[in-house]
Amino acid sequence: MEEETAASDEESRRRVASSLTSRYSDWVVESLDELQGSFLLTDPSIPGHPIVYASRGLAALTGYPPAEVLGRNARLFQGAGTDRAAVAGVRDAVRCQRPHQTPILNYRRDGAAHWVLLHLAPVFHAADGAVLHFLAVQVPIPPPPPPARCRVARPTVVVFAPCREEARVEEELSCPCASHAGEVFVDVDKRGLDAEEPRVASEHEKEKALSTANSIFSALNRYSKLTGLVVCGKRCDSVGIPALSSSLNLSLGRIKQSFVLTDPHLPDMPIIYASDAFLSLTGYSREEILGCNCKFLNGPGTSAEVLEEINQHICSEQACTVHLLNYRKDRSSFRDLLHISPIRNASGKVAFHVWVHLDEGAKHDFNGLTPEVWQLGAVGAVRVAVRSLSASGSLLRPSQ
Amino acid sequence: MVSTTEFKGEYSLPSKNSPLNQFEGVKTHLYRLGAEHENGTLKSFAYADQGSPSLLDTIILSQWEDFAWKGHLGYDVTACNLKVIEGGWSFVVQLNNKWNSCVLKDYDKFLGPVGCLKPNCMNSYDELLLCIAQGDKDIPEVVPSTKPPKDGLLLIANACPVEYGHILLVPSVTNQLSFFWDKRMFSLVARIASEVNSAAFRVFFDNCTSTMPHRTFFQACYFANPLPVESASTVAIYDGKATSGVCLYEIVDYPMKSLAFTGNDVNTLANFVGEVSLTLHDNNTAYSLLVSNNGTKVKNLATGSCLSAWECCGYFVYRAKYDFDRASEIEISNRIASVTLQDSAFENLKSLCCAIADDLVM
Repeated sequence: MEEETAASDEESRRRVASSLTSRYSDWVVESLDELQGSFLLTDPSIPGHPIVYASRGLAALTGYPPAEVLGRNARLFQGAGTDRAAVAGVRDAVRCQRPHQTPILNYRRDGAAHWVLLHLAPVFHAADGAVLHFLAVQVPIPPPPPPARCRVARPTVVVFAPCREEARVEEELSCPCASHAGEVFVDVDKRGLDAEEPRVASEHEKEKALSTANSIFSALNRYSKLTGLVVCGKRCDSVGIPALSSSLNLSLGRIKQSFVLTDPHLPDMPIIYASDAFLSLTGYSREEILGCNCKFLNGPGTSAEVLEEINQHICSEQACTVHLLNYRKDRSSFRDLLHISPIRNASGKVAFHVWVHLDEGAKHDFNGLTPEVWQLGAVGAVRVAVRSLSASGSLLRPSQ
Repeated sequence: MVSTTEFKGEYSLPSKNSPLNQFEGVKTHLYRLGAEHENGTLKSFAYADQGSPSLLDTIILSQWEDFAWKGHLGYDVTACNLKVIEGGWSFVVQLNNKWNSCVLKDYDKFLGPVGCLKPNCMNSYDELLLCIAQGDKDIPEVVPSTKPPKDGLLLIANACPVEYGHILLVPSVTNQLSFFWDKRMFSLVARIASEVNSAAFRVFFDNCTSTMPHRTFFQACYFANPLPVESASTVAIYDGKATSGVCLYEIVDYPMKSLAFTGNDVNTLANFVGEVSLTLHDNNTAYSLLVSNNGTKVKNLATGSCLSAWECCGYFVYRAKYDFDRASEIEISNRIASVTLQDSAFENLKSLCCAIADDLVM
């Protein structure tokens, strides 16, 4: 009995140690070590769902050296004051294999409580959609400035409750007092004694968490080239982002302009196709952007009015051409001549939106046409391709 | 059997009222095709890799989409439901309550009895998308905003399209004598199909003597899927690969008796089809043509009456949902079969085509 336990411990340790290196390459750990930020990776395929990587930043934030957390479950950071609803939300996200952000009260090695924004993201195998790891970024949330506290009947608990969609509405999160979701989840008896006012993560912390997560995905993909593995933050199979039929993919692949297709029927209008020219214009890889909303191109100086104009046109199923300041992956900006148009399938229903991007700063030959008209050529080619009647009558690959 | 030499050069006969000045103030983009090479192959530019849409394709789609976006279309044809009728022929039907097959009358301004564009209103002709003409340079060139040459084809958007990208291809100046068919026009159309280089691009020609007695024009459309007639089986009836350069096939399992022609190159095929068409026209025979496969395949749909070319090909537009929902293979095949040639007439057509192909050898 003892021996068996020892043997399985040994096996677990071995698996923890090789969880990353066997899938990516031996250098992936070094590369992750160089990244800023406090984060860890866990492997759900190993019993106990242990931590298989802990960053240096995590040691600084929590006081735990990597050696002390590797092989343990990430719940070790939680303590008496950790909100159970927040924990339930995280568990739910892990179970459903979806990304999740929540402020959570964690505990340092010395027992001190501290608020962090926990950014959880599954790491999917791009080819088959299997979850390889979970990535958890922790961004400390500073205490709010002392004044301007809303007086509301206690308990004012803001709970991110991912299982309750209504609680995820952004506006509600901007002010803790506006949340009614807390009422549902308040569990006064069980809340920690030292639980101070729950903290709300600002946009700054959310962006920081997201950019840390993105840099980790890049590092993972950079070091998986040798093994041929590609990972992404969004599931790319029929469960999450639908795959286009191969004949449609082929037709779209021939169109040389820079464009993406988004699916208006999925939450947050994710990108479901990106042309090669779009990837070279923006510097992103296909895996990084499939499943994302187009807003990742925006940044400082992107006109909110123009974005609103785009939204309105999309809602009314109308085409529009706008000028917009957008950003590449390397954060360099470009003047984007952007045409957006609804694309209808053979049944006449809007199936996608096409977003044709043209870098106004680059030199182009429009063969006598205006740039605005020239980029419509891509729209036309997409329309023809999407009008195709496949034998099944569906543009999407049947789900496996 | 048929001599066509008498028509040679007639197209360029100078008429007294030279229509050249009728283009005063009219400006459109001009696409000049590259010069032909001796072996009949065309040098196409466009994009570096061959799989990509060609320059001409992109320009046509850009101009059409721009026309659509500016709201000049009668309706958005991509919002119309398409469906495939179950059965062996896979007919395609479209539900379009705004479709009006008589709509071509609106184009009298282009296709009127005089056959020339009217200079007064031309400046506001948004329908004029492009002019395509033969060029003398080695590679094609685009001349932005220029006066259309008299030997070009005008690409005019059809505001009531049967499918995306529906255009009329109209000779910019038609001879004012009652000259109807010119082989060079067909050659130009075939070269345009070849230059567009898109499997979806299909050109139609209706020699429908009753509706447009004085006008020669083609129509073209982008169909993402092959038309039913293109999927029908064929039997070779004439193989001239080594001699005349054309091959003739009979389409066997289709309700309309039809022939398919392929050529060793675009020019040989265009020349042959021109001869066939001229002969049929002289005999007052109604027929339709479908040019597909980038101009390398032509189908002759011999019809006794005026189904439009796409209807002969198995593509029908229904205005009423009731009819659309009840469209059946039997009903459609009966409609097509009702206008097809009698067996004896079809046999004559076959021997006529073979004879014309034989004539090409000499």
